[in-house]
Amino acid sequence: MNMTPEQQESGRRNFLKAVAGVPALAAVGGAAALRGPVRGGPVKLGFVGLGGQGRVLLGQTDPHYAEVRALCDVNPGRLAKADAVLSKDGKPAARHYADWQEMLQKEDLEGVVVATPLWTHADIVVGCLEAGKHVLCEKMMAWDVDGCQRMLQAAARAGRVLEIGYQRYYNPVYQAAHEGIVKTGTLGDVYHARLVWHRNGNWRRSEEPPSPDYDPSRWGYPTFDHLLNWRLYHRYSRGLLAELASHQVSIVSWFFGHEPEAVLASGGLYRFVENREVADHVYVTFEYPNGRTATFSSIESNAFDHYYEMYMGTKGTLILKGETEAYLFEEGDRKATGVDVTAKASGPVLDASESRIVDAAGQLASGTTTRTDRLASYRMEVSGFCAAIRVDRPLRCGAERALRSARGCLAAHEAMETKSRVVLT
Amino acid sequence: MTPTSLSQAQQVALVLLRTLIGWHFLYEGLYKLAWPAWSRGGVPLDRWTSAGYLRAAGGPLADVFHALAEPPWVQGVDFAVSIGLVLVGLSLLLGLFSQAGAIGALLLLGLFYVSAIPTSGVSQPMAEGAYLYVNKNLVEAAAVAVVLTFRTGRIAGLDLLIRGRRRPEPREEALAS
Repeated sequence: MNMTPEQQESGRRNFLKAVAGVPALAAVGGAAALRGPVRGGPVKLGFVGLGGQGRVLLGQTDPHYAEVRALCDVNPGRLAKADAVLSKDGKPAARHYADWQEMLQKEDLEGVVVATPLWTHADIVVGCLEAGKHVLCEKMMAWDVDGCQRMLQAAARAGRVLEIGYQRYYNPVYQAAHEGIVKTGTLGDVYHARLVWHRNGNWRRSEEPPSPDYDPSRWGYPTFDHLLNWRLYHRYSRGLLAELASHQVSIVSWFFGHEPEAVLASGGLYRFVENREVADHVYVTFEYPNGRTATFSSIESNAFDHYYEMYMGTKGTLILKGETEAYLFEEGDRKATGVDVTAKASGPVLDASESRIVDAAGQLASGTTTRTDRLASYRMEVSGFCAAIRVDRPLRCGAERALRSARGCLAAHEAMETKSRVVLT
Repeated sequence: MTPTSLSQAQQVALVLLRTLIGWHFLYEGLYKLAWPAWSRGGVPLDRWTSAGYLRAAGGPLADVFHALAEPPWVQGVDFAVSIGLVLVGLSLLLGLFSQAGAIGALLLLGLFYVSAIPTSGVSQPMAEGAYLYVNKNLVEAAAVAVVLTFRTGRIAGLDLLIRGRRRPEPREEALAS
């Protein structure tokens, strides 16, 4: 899917027109706002897992909302990089830990941000919740449904906040699309959504061990490569379905107002067969009630389409691209809907978007024509987590929704493995 | 004039006026003391400080206000203003030491007014309304003057209890009988 500059311009204009006046993040607690302030300073946070995603969240932690007290990672190299993130923003240094349980014992924390490999989510999150900490855990929720349910139950037992890191829920473009287009029925009846996440690469990270004698076996990884490239091995990961599909499927379920009823999938490990177990090409069909279907494809051999979600309705088409751009086309407007492949080079087209800046209160500032910062979603996610802790502000995603998304993606994994149609009950 | 010469409606209106002014002062003070705090909507609130207000001050005492806007004075000013607002607010709300509370309110309002006397007659950025010489501070000060001169503590409030304790001796009517 690619568009001419004229089509992009037209699609952006239509989108902005449709969502004009819609608050980016719907107001919550309107009546409560009439009461006075609640005492409390920034939330005291610890971070467990400071790989790429953990450091993004660390960098997007607004010091007005949270104070980073402690950093925990089994890889000392990652802690050094996390230090650099803090010092770059002029934030005070945080204490280091390799063991998250030791961190919980020694630090006075209110919340923990967990961004560790998928297979460790359930144990760490349940441990944090049982220690009375609030938790923001990266997606996917857990490696299996049982792990997700343990997390959900632990949060309920402990009476603590548990949010899962689907940052699209905090993205003003998605909020505006939901409020101004999906809820208003602008698209007519939507029978089909297309989810695409295409890349051209082996997904493999390369990095030197922190020291020649570094032993990752203490943490359950036989080699440093397993620790570094955990995404590529079944024991720790659910591959593209967990890391990419779960983001998009969760949003389809939000926009459709239903969860998938059944899943068909195929795919396999076709290109990068060396030192890898998880599929590098995945094709899934998610069946929703009332004849609605979402298809997801993720390939690692071509990046022309890059990543987007397209909702095809009887009256219009909504495209949410790269988490920063949004286009709306009316059905029947041949000029606008005639989306052609342009002669542009392959790869993501990173044109500036006309999305609008979001202020601290989550309102779209009208009249601005600047690109929405993709990182702003992470910033609002961490801030939203802190606000949920301090003043019970409702979570945008929440663990129940995240569990349902995980269930759909794990069913897709099963369908792909067994080459069958898996029915979700 | 004694309170008893006022009609019941007049007395109620005067005490209501004092109570509302008291609530206004009390909440302004508590809000300033609430930091660190969050709004109910989930946004951390900046620490309140009078520094910006003082730096922007004009009028005859501008130089004094500007000097007070700088450390170490400003921290003291912030605390004194917050506590002053709370004490005045409690006094007027409860009708306790009402006369002193009303004088304190007049002093505070006087300072607020003198620091920013509206002379432009047009609306200012970040402020609602347009004012020429008379603004809400001045109107509230006039209302406090009414509360002060009518001695509302004698109509209703905790001052009545204190008056009762100070005069344990028999009242004149009782002696006469």
